[in-house]
Amino acid sequence: MSAPGDLRIEDITILFRGRQGPVTALPPTTLHLAPGSFTALIGPSGCGKSSLLNAIAGFLVPASGTIRLDGAPVTGPSARIGLIFQHYALFPWFTALGNVRFALRRFGLPRTEEIARARAALAEVGLGAHERKFPQQLSGGMRQRVAIARTFAGAPQVLLLDEPFAALDAQTRRGMQELMLEVWARHSATVLFVTHDVDEALLLADRVYLMSAGPGRLIADYVLAQPRPRSLTQDGGALLAIREEILARLHPQPSAAPSRSPGIVATCPERSQP
Amino acid sequence: MAVNETLSPALRLLHLSAGLGGPVLAFALVFVLWAVLGAAQLVPEAIFPAPWSVWAAGREMWEGGTLAQDLGVSLGRAATGFAFGASLGIALGLLTGRVAVLRWLLGPLLMLLRPIPAIALVPLAIVWFGIGEGSKHFVIGYTVFLTVWFNTHHGVEYVPETYLRAARALGASRRREFLAVIVPAAAPHILAGLRLGVALAFLSLVAAELSGASSGLGFRLQEARQYLRTDRIFALLILLGGIGALADLIVGRIGRRIVHWQQG
Ligand SMILES: Nc1ncnc2c1ncn2[C@@H]1O[C@H](COP(=O)(O)OP(=O)(O)OP(=O)(O)O)[C@@H](O)[C@H]1O
Ligand SMILES: [Mg+2]
Repeated sequence: MSAPGDLRIEDITILFRGRQGPVTALPPTTLHLAPGSFTALIGPSGCGKSSLLNAIAGFLVPASGTIRLDGAPVTGPSARIGLIFQHYALFPWFTALGNVRFALRRFGLPRTEEIARARAALAEVGLGAHERKFPQQLSGGMRQRVAIARTFAGAPQVLLLDEPFAALDAQTRRGMQELMLEVWARHSATVLFVTHDVDEALLLADRVYLMSAGPGRLIADYVLAQPRPRSLTQDGGALLAIREEILARLHPQPSAAPSRSPGIVATCPERSQP
Repeated sequence: MAVNETLSPALRLLHLSAGLGGPVLAFALVFVLWAVLGAAQLVPEAIFPAPWSVWAAGREMWEGGTLAQDLGVSLGRAATGFAFGASLGIALGLLTGRVAVLRWLLGPLLMLLRPIPAIALVPLAIVWFGIGEGSKHFVIGYTVFLTVWFNTHHGVEYVPETYLRAARALGASRRREFLAVIVPAAAPHILAGLRLGVALAFLSLVAAELSGASSGLGFRLQEARQYLRTDRIFALLILLGGIGALADLIVGRIGRRIVHWQQG
């Protein structure tokens, strides 16, 4: 038996019902996420990244194949697999503290201890002073911090993130990425992180998978051993080379195009904007 | 305020009417128009009484003691009917909005019952409950029930999927998902239903009292018609309008406080 958080995606296919029969959202895909690993997934819009996350989370049933968490098949949503969505999904009727307490409720703690732990979780993401505020009273970055605190409070073994920082401005995003790494280092969960931002993947992940256009297959896999925190400007060499390669694969140029300027983000025009 | 000083008087009037003073100003204008019409005696008093005649008729009923009594009786009926209808409507809406079998069974029925106006129920209510209080409570309660049911059902059925997913991924039990996610997420719709229910309670109250009652504002309206007391009819109608608007205002205010997270 390995450490908890061993996620095996075994040959799963995801279909959706279309007007003319089933539509493949994800062709047979196999992926192993080692306990405590941090994996990023990059791919063009519509290639099936969100569908894959939804299947792992137990929100949709794959047409074939199995997903196993520590050997047991995933049959539906559970607190063992946490999620952070792009649009926060905080409960607007609860305060920041109430949102975190919601995640703690399953532990059946005494009230005072539950509140104390919720406060600690908010303090950890730097929101100690805002516990009484409702989500609508917080900025986008603060809301996402509440979401991070809430999700980690539930102590999930696997954490799925679907473009969690895509709606934030570049500067806030950098701060959130650092925070994410800090919190993750303390709580250790197996992370699968979907992003359109190649730099984000390179700064955070210890493994990056690249998917082809939809229905997407895993077409490349990069292992990043560089210690964190990383910087793309200083210790850049190897990371920059990988970035060039990923960008070239995401945006194939008809001519032998020169490499792109650094700092570019792999955006797709049809991607839905917040 | 500095802005106001630079505005022309006409613009200032518009500015005022856009704010809190708006409704008051509108009423004042309508009232002046009404008073001018009354003073000019263009229309016979028996058809369209002047404001002061209506005021006198209202005072007369108040001093005779019937107005307070009618008001009490009518408000009591509306409140009882509303309480029954609203609680039943919320309870059933929570069930049909969430339980597929019940939705399938009762959904079409709801579509069929909704267009039936309250007045059309009065004969049935009298057959079932006689001309006593029961039939009034039934008519009011039923109309309130239907609209609260419909709105609750709708609100519960369309709870955003992201909330449900977040709750499940956070390990919420079915019970907690219902109480801490579905109910609050549907609360804006439920409260909208209650607000509509208040308005309908007054509508159906008068419908119920117009036939087979011996007290209440609706009965008094009918009585005034028999004696051709148009001034009294006007006074009672204005009273009904005033109470209805006040009740709506109160429920709206309370509602906004409860669902404080809902903007706009
Ligand atoms: N509920 C659904 N019903 C039908 N088709 C769907 C549904 N959800 C997704 N799809 C289809 O499945 C495919 C993959 O969608 P998915 O949302 O997983 O893509 P994605 O990689 O997350 O894209 P993006 O980067 O834009 O978020 C798309 O072709 C999409 O149209
Ligand atoms: Mg997606």
